[in-house]
Amino acid sequence: MKISIARGELLEALSVVSRGLSSRTTLPILSGIHVSTDGDTAVFQATDLEVSIKTSCKARVEQPGKSVLPGRLLTDVARSLPEAAITIDTSTPNTASVVCGQSSFSMKTLSPEDYPKFPEVAPGQETVLPAETFSHVVHQVSKSVSRDETRPILTGVLVVVETGTLRMVATDSYRLCVREVPLEKAPADIELVVPGKAIEDVAKLVGSSENITLGVSENQVIFTFGATTFISRRIEGSFPNYNQLLPKEHTTRATVDRAELLEAVKRVSLMAQHNTPLRVKVSVAEHTMTLSAATQDVGDAVEDLQVTPEGEDVEIAFNHTYLLDGVSVAESDTVALEVTSPLKPGVIKPSDGEDFTYLLMPVRLG
Amino acid sequence: MDAFFAAVEQLDHPEWRGKPVIVGSPDGRGVVSTASYEARAFGIHSAMPSAQATRRCPDAVWARPRFARYAEISQAVCEMLETFTPFVQRVSIDEAYLDVTPTHTDPTDPVAIAHGIRAAVDDLGITCSIGVATSKTVAKIASDHDKPHGITVVRPGDESAFLAPLPAIAIPGVGGATAERLRDVGIRTIGDLAALDEASALQLLGSHGPELVMRASGIDPRPALEEHGVKSVSAEHTFARDVRERTEVAGELKLLVERVARRLRSKGLKGRTVSLKLRYADFTTKTPSRTMAVASDIDASLLPVALELLSEAWTPGAGLRLLGFGVSGFAERAEQLDLLSGSQPDADDRVRSLARSIDAVKARFGDSAIGYGHAVSDEPDE
Repeated sequence: MKISIARGELLEALSVVSRGLSSRTTLPILSGIHVSTDGDTAVFQATDLEVSIKTSCKARVEQPGKSVLPGRLLTDVARSLPEAAITIDTSTPNTASVVCGQSSFSMKTLSPEDYPKFPEVAPGQETVLPAETFSHVVHQVSKSVSRDETRPILTGVLVVVETGTLRMVATDSYRLCVREVPLEKAPADIELVVPGKAIEDVAKLVGSSENITLGVSENQVIFTFGATTFISRRIEGSFPNYNQLLPKEHTTRATVDRAELLEAVKRVSLMAQHNTPLRVKVSVAEHTMTLSAATQDVGDAVEDLQVTPEGEDVEIAFNHTYLLDGVSVAESDTVALEVTSPLKPGVIKPSDGEDFTYLLMPVRLG
Repeated sequence: MDAFFAAVEQLDHPEWRGKPVIVGSPDGRGVVSTASYEARAFGIHSAMPSAQATRRCPDAVWARPRFARYAEISQAVCEMLETFTPFVQRVSIDEAYLDVTPTHTDPTDPVAIAHGIRAAVDDLGITCSIGVATSKTVAKIASDHDKPHGITVVRPGDESAFLAPLPAIAIPGVGGATAERLRDVGIRTIGDLAALDEASALQLLGSHGPELVMRASGIDPRPALEEHGVKSVSAEHTFARDVRERTEVAGELKLLVERVARRLRSKGLKGRTVSLKLRYADFTTKTPSRTMAVASDIDASLLPVALELLSEAWTPGAGLRLLGFGVSGFAERAEQLDLLSGSQPDADDRVRSLARSIDAVKARFGDSAIGYGHAVSDEPDE
């Protein structure tokens, strides 16, 4: 195989498929990027057996063929080269030469016969979403995805498209984030749970594409955008019934400037070390929300915020990271914190009417 | 207590009084747990292999250990001790330290208290020996000085004179191996040990050396009641023979988990870190551990983690001598509430209240009175 590709395009293609490179050293072939030719395009593939990614770019194909090149190394080389045509030549057995201007590299290759075949999935259902909306919603909910592998269903994001809306839900059982957006065109309905890491990667890669197509098969989900195909397994099992978890009422609501709250939480959190909780006290008469944190043998911090309160005085404590995550992804200018009691979940909602709910469980104080 | 287990057996079996009684299992790899003073006359002592004990005294009465009964008597002794002072530190089933330093409000002479305690133990039908001294080390050594039924008083200032002629091994903290190392350099008595300078102590005995030397001179500042927070709760079991079957190991692990969970509940502790201790036939030891998301004191949540660790660290077929289980990483007082388990609020509470009821039954009627109905053979293969 001998191909020449503009450095910028090569680097972009490599960056896309690099997200599928395996870090497992037990299967060296998976640390490679599969490069092949198809007419006048170069096709790049990577897989860690959890996800498979394929993308392509225009190339001058002098000699068709295929090879497996060391993924990280090839990407680093492409990144280091100046903006010019890069030629990849694999005519010497087990070796690829990478030449650009006066620079030339040679690197050991692996056998393309050993590389896992790219999965051919026939999607049963497909739906098309605006790419920007998709990645934005992923960004908002993905912080709430669980990292705890013992409850696999919680390591995923529930994606629901129905009656012209896109809804995503994530929870790690300590907080729960629900975001729903209306779609201009009503696409086909689907519902599935996508592994958190995969959907986050897709949201980052989707970049400048206009649309993203979600194809759903029995076990897998296929994201297609631009020249890229990203396949991930689905998470099986039933996602918790989140509607039932959302409080129907509240006894206290405090509306506050979101940027002020965000900064205050960040400051006070400095004194909430070793997972000590951050206390939130709402005084209706004073129109204040007082944030405080104290770590034994370290010190404490207190900050008062002006709020618009409704209902009763309350004092509740939260994990400061969970509170910070919620406030930072809520996005509107002002947010409302709704609370029922110190042992019931608190809810952060934007006050601009956007359909966003971030629920967080409190910390019980000893 | 003097020959505690054997004394309890002689109390409960009047026909055994005055005869050599050995508590332990006479067969297999068994060892002598306790020998009565009559048996000790034949040279039988704790930890002696049973076969050897049988050779020395073929006529001895062998009693299977009844730990529940010993615990009961031990508890009675402890309650009696607490009538003398609230400052009781129980260190084992048959040993305790009491702080009876005379005070303004209670100027009673410690020696008089010792006589009172000895008489009260006699009333229970067993005997004890007591050491009275100004520190725990000296008191402990003094209590061993005149067994059985003896009271040894070491007056303030007399500590080093009392200790000096005793063999170095009498100091708690000096075992067989250390004693041998000391003998090699000519240190035979506690007096020899006390004469060591700090540098040689460090070189000879490691980091504990200087402290041992201090204690050999009769200096021991530890208070009778040590108020240190509990850092971990654990239990372990040495198998009578090396085991290789998963069902057997998992069955024992279940029992250990139950025991530890029960102690956690009785202490009001919940831990997040679960660890195993595995000693293989070749004496290599592994202590794998895992930290859970949520602290627990419930068998049902600790056991799956323990079994998982077992599967990772041990392959059935490999001989196992010892199995231990422990919980540490006790929860800070603030507890992160869980949204999903919170949706069924009574599930966890019900398990805990069941566990507490079982604890109560066991406390009243003994450990074997009640248990879970799982047979060890029901253990799923993994």
